[in-house]
Amino acid sequence: MKILEANAGPLTNFEVLDFLRSKGAAKDPTRVLAKVLPSEYKVFDYLNRTPACNQTREAVIAFVEKSKEYDLAKAEILNIINLRPITPVELFPIIENCDVRMGEEATERMEEMGSMVEHVFPTPQIQPTLEATPNEGNEAETMEEQEGAGDAVEEPIQTT
Amino acid sequence: MFYLSRIEHTLRVPPSLLNLPILDAIKGELEKLFIDKVVANLGLCISVYDIRSVDGGFIFPSDGAATYKVVFTLIVFRPFTGEVIIGKVQESNENGLRISLGFFEDIYVPVELMPSGSEFTPDENNGGRRRWVWIYNEVPFDIYESDEIKFKIHSIEYPAILVEQPKESNSKFPMEEKPKESINVKPFAPMVITASLDQDGLGPVSWWDGSGEAEDEVEEDS
Repeated sequence: MKILEANAGPLTNFEVLDFLRSKGAAKDPTRVLAKVLPSEYKVFDYLNRTPACNQTREAVIAFVEKSKEYDLAKAEILNIINLRPITPVELFPIIENCDVRMGEEATERMEEMGSMVEHVFPTPQIQPTLEATPNEGNEAETMEEQEGAGDAVEEPIQTT
Repeated sequence: MFYLSRIEHTLRVPPSLLNLPILDAIKGELEKLFIDKVVANLGLCISVYDIRSVDGGFIFPSDGAATYKVVFTLIVFRPFTGEVIIGKVQESNENGLRISLGFFEDIYVPVELMPSGSEFTPDENNGGRRRWVWIYNEVPFDIYESDEIKFKIHSIEYPAILVEQPKESNSKFPMEEKPKESINVKPFAPMVITASLDQDGLGPVSWWDGSGEAEDEVEEDS
């Protein structure tokens, strides 16, 4: 084995999830028929619980464009896309030296950035993706359904 | 957190796979070899992304298999230092925390990287089982097992494979027996991530979301 290029490009969580979906990870409820390995399903399950579960390619591109004015490093942009921080506290550990770099009105800038992130990426909806995995216990399923019913009320907000 | 890595490998494709299209056969063999395994200094291999080129097909003397030189791309899990990730607390003991991502479980938070002012104290509500508590302005914040937790990557190590295994871990299922046995006997981990919680905004997700009190404290701090 020879490593030609250890880093041929970083991937966001969304891109990995998209790749696993394209392999058919989401379609097969039995998890036997699709050509997806058990270890890949573990990654798929983890990513489905992250904000990546309902991001779109357009939203990610739009965010990269909008983040230019904040002068962020590539790694920080990647981290923000993966975590979708919407409050200054959540942004604080991601951005290195943020007190110095954000200038005097750091808090305002962070709040502005947070609301921008919230605006670009829709609120993650965990329940629908969980429903796609019926191989959990029956009890868990009914609970999810109940929660899902509660969530249906919130749905119109997301589509706007 | 995830990267693409280009790799060249001389791959032996056994004759039993000759009935498959060559790319399928090679992909299957690559998955068997690499997926869910750690390559030192590269990371944990998640998936075969694509196959760039296939060369050769040489059959060595006294071997029935064709040997190809394959260039391919893997998706690997290799977090960078300073990255913030969300995981689940799997285990907490006096040495710190162990965090799991579901597909990767060797993430440790040592005592010195816990939030400053943390204590490992008995929990009265839970029959005296001990858990980590961060005491901030005399307000205790608990870290429970199975909490969603946000952590920052401090360092990644790829320990060399032990030449002599410790005797206790020779048993058939070291992973299952571990919690009962002494904690010093850990199964060998090829990639160990050290994580830090010692910064505002890190720690269990429930500490920081919504409830105004905790957030106000931090804004004064930062």
